[in-house]
Amino acid sequence: MSQIYSPKILGFLCNWCCYTAADSAGVGRYQYPPNLRVIRMMCTGRLDPSFPLEGLANGADGIFVGGCHPGECHYIDGNYHALVSASLVHEMLSKIGIERERFLIEWASAAEGPNFVKIITAFTKKISALGPLGQAEGKDGEELRLQLAAAAESARGRKIRTGLINASKEMMKGGDFSRTAIAGLVHDKCDKALTELMGEFAP
Amino acid sequence: MHTPVSNPSALQTVGSVLVVGGGVAGVQAALDLTELGYKVHLIEKSGAIGGVMARLDKTFPTNDCSLCILAPKLVEAGRDPNIEILTLSELVDLTGEPGSFTATVRKQPRYIDEEICTGCGQCTLYCLKQIGNDFNENLEHSQAAHIDYAQAVPTSYYIDAKACLRLNHDTCGLCASVCQAKAIRFDDTEKVIDIPVGAVVLAPGFGRVSDEVMARYGLGQFEDVVTAFEHERLMCASGPTGGEIVRISDRKHPKKIAFLQCIGSRDENCGNNYCSSVCCMYAIKQATLAREHDPECEITLFYMDVRTHGKGFDAARERAVREGNFRVIYARPPKVEDVFGGGLLLTWATEDGKHHSEKFDLVVLSQGLEAPDGAEDLARSAGIDLNPYLFAQTSIYTPLATSRPGVYVIGAFQGPKDIPDSVTQAGGAAALCAGQLAPARGTNTIKASFPEERDIAGEEVRIGVFVCHCGINIGGVVKVPSVAEYAKTLPHVVYATDNLYSCSQDTQRLLVETIHKHRLNRLVVAACTPRTHEPLFQTTLREAGLNRSLFEMANIRDQCSWVHMHEPEAATEKAKDAVRMAVAKAAHLTALAEQQLPVTPSALVVGGGLAGMTAAMTIAEQGFEVTLVEREKELGGRVKLLTADRFGRDPRKAVAELIAKVKAHPKITVHTKGTVAAVSGYVGNFTTTLDTGNGSVVVNHGVAAIATGGRPYEPKQYHYGESPKIVTQLELEKKLAATSQPLAKNTKQVVMIQCVGSRGEDLSYCSRVCCGQALKNSLRLKKLRPELGITVLYRDMRAYGFLEDDYRAAREAGVIFTRYQVEQKPEVIPGKGGAVAVRYHDPLLAETVEVDADLLVLSVGIVPEDPTALARMLKVPVTAEKFFLEAHVKLQPVDLPVDGTYVCGLAHSPRSMDETIAQAQAAAGRACHPLARGSITPAPIVSKVDPELCIGCGACESFCPYKAIEIYKEAKSRKARTLTASCKGCGICAARCPTMAIDMGRFTLDGIMAQIKAFGQGVS
Repeated sequence: MSQIYSPKILGFLCNWCCYTAADSAGVGRYQYPPNLRVIRMMCTGRLDPSFPLEGLANGADGIFVGGCHPGECHYIDGNYHALVSASLVHEMLSKIGIERERFLIEWASAAEGPNFVKIITAFTKKISALGPLGQAEGKDGEELRLQLAAAAESARGRKIRTGLINASKEMMKGGDFSRTAIAGLVHDKCDKALTELMGEFAP
Repeated sequence: MHTPVSNPSALQTVGSVLVVGGGVAGVQAALDLTELGYKVHLIEKSGAIGGVMARLDKTFPTNDCSLCILAPKLVEAGRDPNIEILTLSELVDLTGEPGSFTATVRKQPRYIDEEICTGCGQCTLYCLKQIGNDFNENLEHSQAAHIDYAQAVPTSYYIDAKACLRLNHDTCGLCASVCQAKAIRFDDTEKVIDIPVGAVVLAPGFGRVSDEVMARYGLGQFEDVVTAFEHERLMCASGPTGGEIVRISDRKHPKKIAFLQCIGSRDENCGNNYCSSVCCMYAIKQATLAREHDPECEITLFYMDVRTHGKGFDAARERAVREGNFRVIYARPPKVEDVFGGGLLLTWATEDGKHHSEKFDLVVLSQGLEAPDGAEDLARSAGIDLNPYLFAQTSIYTPLATSRPGVYVIGAFQGPKDIPDSVTQAGGAAALCAGQLAPARGTNTIKASFPEERDIAGEEVRIGVFVCHCGINIGGVVKVPSVAEYAKTLPHVVYATDNLYSCSQDTQRLLVETIHKHRLNRLVVAACTPRTHEPLFQTTLREAGLNRSLFEMANIRDQCSWVHMHEPEAATEKAKDAVRMAVAKAAHLTALAEQQLPVTPSALVVGGGLAGMTAAMTIAEQGFEVTLVEREKELGGRVKLLTADRFGRDPRKAVAELIAKVKAHPKITVHTKGTVAAVSGYVGNFTTTLDTGNGSVVVNHGVAAIATGGRPYEPKQYHYGESPKIVTQLELEKKLAATSQPLAKNTKQVVMIQCVGSRGEDLSYCSRVCCGQALKNSLRLKKLRPELGITVLYRDMRAYGFLEDDYRAAREAGVIFTRYQVEQKPEVIPGKGGAVAVRYHDPLLAETVEVDADLLVLSVGIVPEDPTALARMLKVPVTAEKFFLEAHVKLQPVDLPVDGTYVCGLAHSPRSMDETIAQAQAAAGRACHPLARGSITPAPIVSKVDPELCIGCGACESFCPYKAIEIYKEAKSRKARTLTASCKGCGICAARCPTMAIDMGRFTLDGIMAQIKAFGQGVS
């Protein structure tokens, strides 16, 4: 078994921008590493915070979420809500002790096939460098996946989701859709519940 | 046999249209017409519709698979109950008046009953008489009993009457004995049919430059000189060599290929002075494909000028030349010679006067387009005028109207043109017919009906998987049969197979049969992308009595074989993963109820220039209300800056007439000094707020057409603005229109510089119209003062189509044309008192020349008006160059990706007046589809609340961007419910619901979780 490590990457792409960009990359014959597997959604707003966690729990080494550029969401503000979910995922990864770079949310418009290729190529490289889940973390991969499954379960739970609702509400009210602002809101609203819940399955 | 007419009253408008020609233009016109509510009789002279596009392997600039994007349209036309396809048919007479014509059509016998033939192919198998396979350019044989190509519509075989042994010698007849369906009819006869129609659309396509002309380049004499059409078939997986580019002489792969351009085009010797407008592009495409086939092969392209003037074409060419490592030579080798020791010798002279010669393995002739065979007969039958080149005569201001009212022309018969322009014209002609026949809309059409849906609720899950080769698009990389075999091992899969082309009509029939035979209740197609092909397969599902939501696609082409072309193993693994994930999701699909939403029967047109006004008129003429909003005080736009067209008429007069018509039209409301402030809603039900001179106005409309236009580029280079002697072409136009002394008395020498701002200066693209404008203005100047010296400094003279006539006329009038290289641009030296000298390299003299210019004219490019704000409001994409990005560059050239929005004019890309008018008419035609239909059936992907789980917190209600979910009170408890008519299916509510009480149609929690789990299972 002297095979070169080939990371497993799962992507959630929105129908209108990133999925279209991926198609147009194909039409233009732009080449990129064959590691990505795609789940199409109508909007990144559909992204349940548990999906990326489930993806990692089920064997992915990296998760990519691709949507429309800020301000260009086909459904007005779905990608902002996706950022809320994404922030929670990052919080949970940190809590478990998983490299936050294993989860990426990025944008490519329908006209940006080459940009999509750039993003995926760089992300694949990144995940290759991190290695299989657990390697960069210096932890047992299987154990991490069990913790991720538990984290996904709690991301479907009422406590955490109520925190996300509050974060989303404040985001809409405040009108600051920057990643840092949204991450701040999610941290404020969810950290307490997270600390409690995650404590139960922390290593 | 002569069927009598049902004699319609002379005053009665007939709600039917005759479309002559079943190529992409004719098929598109037919589909657009039925959408608009008209019955179509589509007549095609060959045995199947599809035309030349069906014979192409790929299409420029995306190298998209040609048949793959065409086939869904052919299938749609074949199954549309309002399109009657008559093959082997031609128009022989047209009598009557617009609105009430009688078209006399002669239909040759097929000798095989179309209705009964199952397309099994037994007749071909047993047919003893070989004939050339015309579809494959006679590079292989076919039989007298045959079908043109596997995906042909109608999917029925026919017998070549000239070749058949039974028909000619009364022997054989084997086909009749082996035909299980008993479809052979040796007693079939020619029929002459009179068809009452209200209007006629001519789309007979193009003819080809004769073999005689090409014989000069060795065609016929040397086996390894091939036409581009032959080369196209050699490239194609379903072609005579199975997609191997080989020399005819020795079946070896050529190591050195030359493409010769302008064969039979721009050539007075053969009478074709015009430019064929498409060869530059298809040669680039073929060179790119030849490179894909052989990374080592040397590829050379010989050009006179590189005319890649279409949207995104220059960029695609540059990338192709760079990545394909092509050698591009500006020269026209006059002949091909055979030399001792094999190979084909080309000799040419470059612009510096040097002579060169080289041997090549394969020479591809970029054969030009001619008027279609029989153009004169058709013109006589239809009663229309032709131009001197035997193309249909049209005018700049009515580009789609022939000389006979009620008879329209589209596609290459209107002038050589590419697929997007042909499709555009098809949409435009359909709109004009719909306007002309408005009173008869819907009088001759019937509604498509589907069998009753099977209730699958109690059934076990039975999934069928079809894996597509897509010719070699998928099959050339992914091991398709092994993917199909793998699919058979997946849970719930009861049937799996592979197909050459899943989208062809015969495969649709096979799908329906398979669904019945194996009692499938979910279907997975692993092929291209659901974005383009899902509707086709969903219609097939409905024909098989299944709800359209029971369908899932695995994208193994656009997101697999095409992006991992050099990694067949990894691509095959990825395809298997994609199929496994799709099957896992499919198992969770359920039948979903459809909903019908009403459409507000009116349109908003943004922009009151030539495009916007034309679109508004064309929509209003079809009987729908239009709101036209223009930013400026007056209608008219930039076209008012033009003072003459190439025939010397004043466009401003035509525009003034159009403005008057728009203002007077009872169905058009004009808002000047108006801009779009906000847009909400979706196709059928948009609400737009306009800021106008008279305050804010709210408009409800079903569709929107964008025609925000462009403006001239403002040059900073070449010392513009520093001397009155330096002007732009538009400023020159203004001078030339002045009644007294348009030119200063002492003006002796004029210099024009092309591509100012365009093609990589500030604008990365070609502005398309500037070459024609320079030619037109040169001729105007020469007419005014024949002794005037004029030098045009250019990169490529892009005098496409009939503009080539102007190019020749200008040269004959003494205008000097000198090519400059982009790395050695002309230099302008300002002198005292506004004097201007221009210094440039003359390649003929091989030295730098300096002339004093009494007038320096800069051919400036076109800049689109900034689309950002409007694009964001409509949620439509724009290109890096700031043009609106159409839904599909080939086949949906005026649709924007958001349903119910369309684009035309300079907001789409630079284009001339006649092209703008045709495109605006097309946008108007497409925009009227939802309006004419009166209702829309959105995808049933809406959210659903489980009242058992709902706690009535109202988070969903507060986040829904469409107010499509509301809280209601029931027995003292609060619950949420979806207003399905407003729900767009984004799923924000589901992602935020604290109790996971909300789920989405087709994108269910269980479905996505199943995909994730299947992802994790990996391929063992």
